[in-house]
Amino acid sequence: MKTIVRLAGIIVLLWAVGMADTAQQSQADHAVVSFTNPAKPGTVEVDVNEGSITVRGYEGKNVIIDARWRERALTQEKREIEAALAGAEEELDKEELAKKKAQAEKSRGMKMLAVESMGLTIEEEDNVIQVSVEEGKRAVDLIIQVPFSTSLQLSCRDDERGVTVERVDGEIEVDTSDGPITLTNVSGPVVADSSEGEIKVVFGKITPGKPMSLSAMDGDIDITLPLDVKASLKMKTDEGQIFTDFDVQLTPSQQKKEEDERKEGGGYRVTYEKVTLGLINGGGTEIQLTTYEGNIYVRKAK
Amino acid sequence: MNCERTKEFLADYLAGELDEKTLAEAQAHLAGCAACREELESLSAIWTKLGVLPKEQPSAALRSRFYDMLEAYKEGLEKGGTAARIYQTISSRLSRLMPRRPTYQLALALVLIIAGLGSGYLLNVRFRSNARFEVATLKQEVNDMRRTVAVSLLKQASASERLMGVSWSSRVDRPGDEIITALLETLDHDPNVNVRLAAVDALYLFYGHPEVKDGLVRSLAGQTSPLVQLALIDLLVGIRERRAAEALERLIQDEKLNPKVKKRAELGLAQLS
Repeated sequence: MKTIVRLAGIIVLLWAVGMADTAQQSQADHAVVSFTNPAKPGTVEVDVNEGSITVRGYEGKNVIIDARWRERALTQEKREIEAALAGAEEELDKEELAKKKAQAEKSRGMKMLAVESMGLTIEEEDNVIQVSVEEGKRAVDLIIQVPFSTSLQLSCRDDERGVTVERVDGEIEVDTSDGPITLTNVSGPVVADSSEGEIKVVFGKITPGKPMSLSAMDGDIDITLPLDVKASLKMKTDEGQIFTDFDVQLTPSQQKKEEDERKEGGGYRVTYEKVTLGLINGGGTEIQLTTYEGNIYVRKAK
Repeated sequence: MNCERTKEFLADYLAGELDEKTLAEAQAHLAGCAACREELESLSAIWTKLGVLPKEQPSAALRSRFYDMLEAYKEGLEKGGTAARIYQTISSRLSRLMPRRPTYQLALALVLIIAGLGSGYLLNVRFRSNARFEVATLKQEVNDMRRTVAVSLLKQASASERLMGVSWSSRVDRPGDEIITALLETLDHDPNVNVRLAAVDALYLFYGHPEVKDGLVRSLAGQTSPLVQLALIDLLVGIRERRAAEALERLIQDEKLNPKVKKRAELGLAQLS
């Protein structure tokens, strides 16, 4: 069964009718989508180019999606940059410039209607719900409610609000470029990466067995684990520090490489990877934490 | 599925009699639990050995032979007197072989002891080499199994399972081309940054393999995530791969490159030359 709910371009702002004032408020889209087989845990995949994603687990069987469109997607600075880029391109491309002039000629004496297509698409197939937003000029804040056992795949770029998840027990995959990743009351496995944002995960419990991995470049990685967790941590930070209030049993790094080229007239070298291996309560679920400039915090649940 | 339940299913698992759902659950648990995998491996080794033994089928003649034997035994009992006499003659003849003087008796005992020890030692050596061979075969089998599991895990839809695939790959001794190709494929095409990062770490362990260095240098140009770029630069500079210099130079030229990656690439370039 394939359900397609298309909301693309549903809302057209009616400037011409003199509704300029209401247009200043953000527009909202609302959709309720059911899984093909509600008895089986489903998956929700969200891909947002500009905007934020918030997912909350709730006691229900359907997925409820609310989209709030922001009035201004581009900050002033970004607009300026874009204008500058456009200008540069026009200078380079005479043909393009001529074309634009011709277009301007056509619309002389007329005013432009601002029709902004929202471009939100929701598809369901085989217990997988895909939510995607067309690349446009407006950012969106998505608020999605899912059954607790749902698995998530969330991708979010170019926004400072990032991804927030609360009370979801399925597998969670998240990536952001700028925004932070904040997961609360999840049980994993979690696989997350962010280039600029920080990653904060509070585990309610840990689903044992499957490995997890969190990677950041600039941001801190901050995880909170249950007291009785059995975990094997593999931690790597280039410029940051590692902090924990757990009794971590450190084991020597196995990532050692020996090279002996003395016979061939070369040198001898031993290199150690900058990896810290630590066991909590004897070791268990593999958790890898990687950050280049940030710190790593491993906290006990209070 | 927990350890106890998985152990209940191990026999069915080996016999291939699990239904799809339980099989998937058991596989998921096995992939994550080293203790259960060991149990499975040892159980499967025993099964393989049992399977080699031919099945014993009673022949048609068995019944008649059994009754013949029973008859013969009954007769033997009746002729018990003759049997005892025969025994006596044999033992008296044997005692004649025994030297009368204690010194000779002692010498004979010594000779026998030495002969016993010697043959025992020889047997032991032969047995041990045999055992060593068997252990080697078993190890090989375990290694092959790991390889198969790793490659199949790398193709899973869940990033966590693919991470597990990478970690299994790195536990394979002497990885074949299959593993190396799968890891390089993961490094180039896996959609998840964390999985790609894990692939970089795993390939680091195998960089002695001829295809690995080439693959790593080639991969640098295609990576878009700054995290993976940094990891690759660190690795290539760490192993002093001189061919990486060209790739680094090209990377630095890229205007969209993350400034931190650019800094690291320039630093690496200086270290390589």
